[in-house]
Amino acid sequence: MSTTTGKKVIRVLVAKPGLDGHDQGAKVIAYGLKDEGFEVIYTGLRRTPEEIANAAVDEDVDVIGLSILSGAHLSIVRRLMALLKEKGVAEKMVLVGGIIPAEDIPKLKEMGVAEVFVSGTYISQVAEFIRSRVGDS
Amino acid sequence: MNEDLEKIREAKKAWEEGPLAKTIKKFPYCTPESSRFYSPLDVEDFDFLEKVGFPGTYPFTAGTFAVEPLAGLARFAHMAGSGEGTGQIPGAGPTRAAIYSGYGTPEDTRDYYKGLLERGGRGGPNLAFDLPTQCGYDSDDPLVEGEVGKVGVCVDSLADFEIIYEPYQGDLNLDRIASNFTINAPANVIIAMYAALAEKRGVPLEKLRATPQNDILKEYVARGTYIFPPKPALRMFRDSLLFICKNMPNVNITSIGGYHIREAGATREQDLAFSMAIAIAYLQVGVDAGLHVDEFAPRFTFNAFGGSMEILKEIAFQRAARRMYARILKERFGAKDDRSMRIRQVLGAHIGPSSTTLQRPLNNLTRAVLGAVASVMSGGRPLPFPPYDEPLGLGWSLEAMQLATDAGRIITCEAKLLEYTDPFAGSYCMEAMTDEIENAAWEELEKIEKMGGAVAAIENGYMQREVSRSAYERQRAMETCQRLVVGVNCFTGEDELEVTTNRLVPNPYDPVKREQAEERQRERLAEIKKSRDNKEVARLLNELKDLAAKEEENLIPHLIECVKAYATEGEICNVLREVFGEFQAVSPF
Repeated sequence: MSTTTGKKVIRVLVAKPGLDGHDQGAKVIAYGLKDEGFEVIYTGLRRTPEEIANAAVDEDVDVIGLSILSGAHLSIVRRLMALLKEKGVAEKMVLVGGIIPAEDIPKLKEMGVAEVFVSGTYISQVAEFIRSRVGDS
Repeated sequence: MNEDLEKIREAKKAWEEGPLAKTIKKFPYCTPESSRFYSPLDVEDFDFLEKVGFPGTYPFTAGTFAVEPLAGLARFAHMAGSGEGTGQIPGAGPTRAAIYSGYGTPEDTRDYYKGLLERGGRGGPNLAFDLPTQCGYDSDDPLVEGEVGKVGVCVDSLADFEIIYEPYQGDLNLDRIASNFTINAPANVIIAMYAALAEKRGVPLEKLRATPQNDILKEYVARGTYIFPPKPALRMFRDSLLFICKNMPNVNITSIGGYHIREAGATREQDLAFSMAIAIAYLQVGVDAGLHVDEFAPRFTFNAFGGSMEILKEIAFQRAARRMYARILKERFGAKDDRSMRIRQVLGAHIGPSSTTLQRPLNNLTRAVLGAVASVMSGGRPLPFPPYDEPLGLGWSLEAMQLATDAGRIITCEAKLLEYTDPFAGSYCMEAMTDEIENAAWEELEKIEKMGGAVAAIENGYMQREVSRSAYERQRAMETCQRLVVGVNCFTGEDELEVTTNRLVPNPYDPVKREQAEERQRERLAEIKKSRDNKEVARLLNELKDLAAKEEENLIPHLIECVKAYATEGEICNVLREVFGEFQAVSPF
């Protein structure tokens, strides 16, 4: 499997929505996916769903990875999904990582999140997941 | 002495060539490093008075105080009833009034504290604020939708403070309790609110006891609740330092947090060096403002240092931190008062949430207990932290808090670990590790000093990048099994039992109230904005803008006027954003 779709390298936007400043996870995944061969764009802290959706379109990414530890994941993801749909890019893969209570994972998936990665996940698992889904499309 | 060392050297050689070599030959997976033995050769220049000294005396390696004041209370620990609001008795652990708390709206938090007091609690609030408050936004700002009242209580205006403190009246009035505020970037607004509340109640400012976290520099490196760039942020720090020194002698100026930096991924040495660099920056602010270090350094506190499961190294780390800080104060800043040189911290060498696992979460109790053991054995309190269900992301359950509290009681009453101060003093291993950590931190500190100090090392992104790099290496080490985490990357086979946990005791915070908190707060904020004298608010905010532009002005007296007129935290921060600008994070790549 490769980190490319056709000839293009898979592009991943790592985003930190909301006000939570615990960005260790976001940065670690950004470094890790870069080392795995993806092209990674990191938004920095405190991005609104609007900014994330715009960045996803402007940067023409294949994947949007959200890191959320503040408990605000449901409302943030709901808004982002609506915005992606509005912009006609609902097909972009959305991943969520962070502190997500088990009971919320099905709710996120129902909203269209492809996968939720919680504490203890290997970067290679995330990389493989992306390759298997984006690479085949 | 030298002859003795010579003899030891010979004995070591004989040991290495004899028993050690033989054992390694027999057990090839053993190396001299796999179970290291320390001898006097590892601390050749050891000088007890210079390196350790008696507890509570320079260089404070053995302890901050001659006797840990709480140790004497240990035998009374059993007398503390449950819900007793005193975190003072070590065996009682973090009793429910003293723990970091804040729920939804000010009314919800008020009711929570009211309940504690009705059950016999006596302590003041240790306030957790929600992220909008920590980042200087009002609850009605469109940016903060979904975050109001989530990780703590929301505070928009003085009206909110008035509500939170309703239960604290009479013999629990502001002059009788101590408050803690976990607030950094807008710390001065919160300090102003506390002062305004005291003034309205007729409590003299000099009687107030409180600790605002007020440690903005670590926010850029870890945790991330910054607003302004570091330079104006330090000017605000100067304002609070001077105002507190002059008017509120019983209020602490700052609570510096090494632990946050470690939690963000820093190594032990980076944690120590960065924290010291940050402390130096704050100390320099006071000195530059014309004070002698002994006039304000005794009002500096530390939140905590620590954070890993390697408890022997963590004990060494605490000792190194105390010695390094004392040396910086004495040698660099010319402190004469012992109180300036002491690291006063609430928590000791506890582990942090990053050491806990989502997998088999009850194991986190074992982990937290080890952290608490390290804490008491290095002069801290026996407070197992965090409660085992921390990584589940649901807030601490009452049963997890009960067990954490009990573990502290067991350490105190049954294991009696508080009965000895710095039990490892003079241990070849401990002294060698203490030296090693301190030396590495000095080396790193020197690097930062060459860049121009903590502010420069934040502005150029050095500290942030180093911490992120270390965090990445930590993750890699986990993935390659160089760092083993039980239940995560080892001992995960089919024969293992995936022990889970359920919440048995319902959370006291009604989920319906939690759901509605944001809406309720927005409605109340709208009412306040309607009922206050808006002309006066506009005039005060305009004046704030002019004053903020003058570097030499201390803004706190004016902030007190602003909050008394019910100008909101968000309005105040917006004015300051206009003048100071906002911090733009440096790219991690």
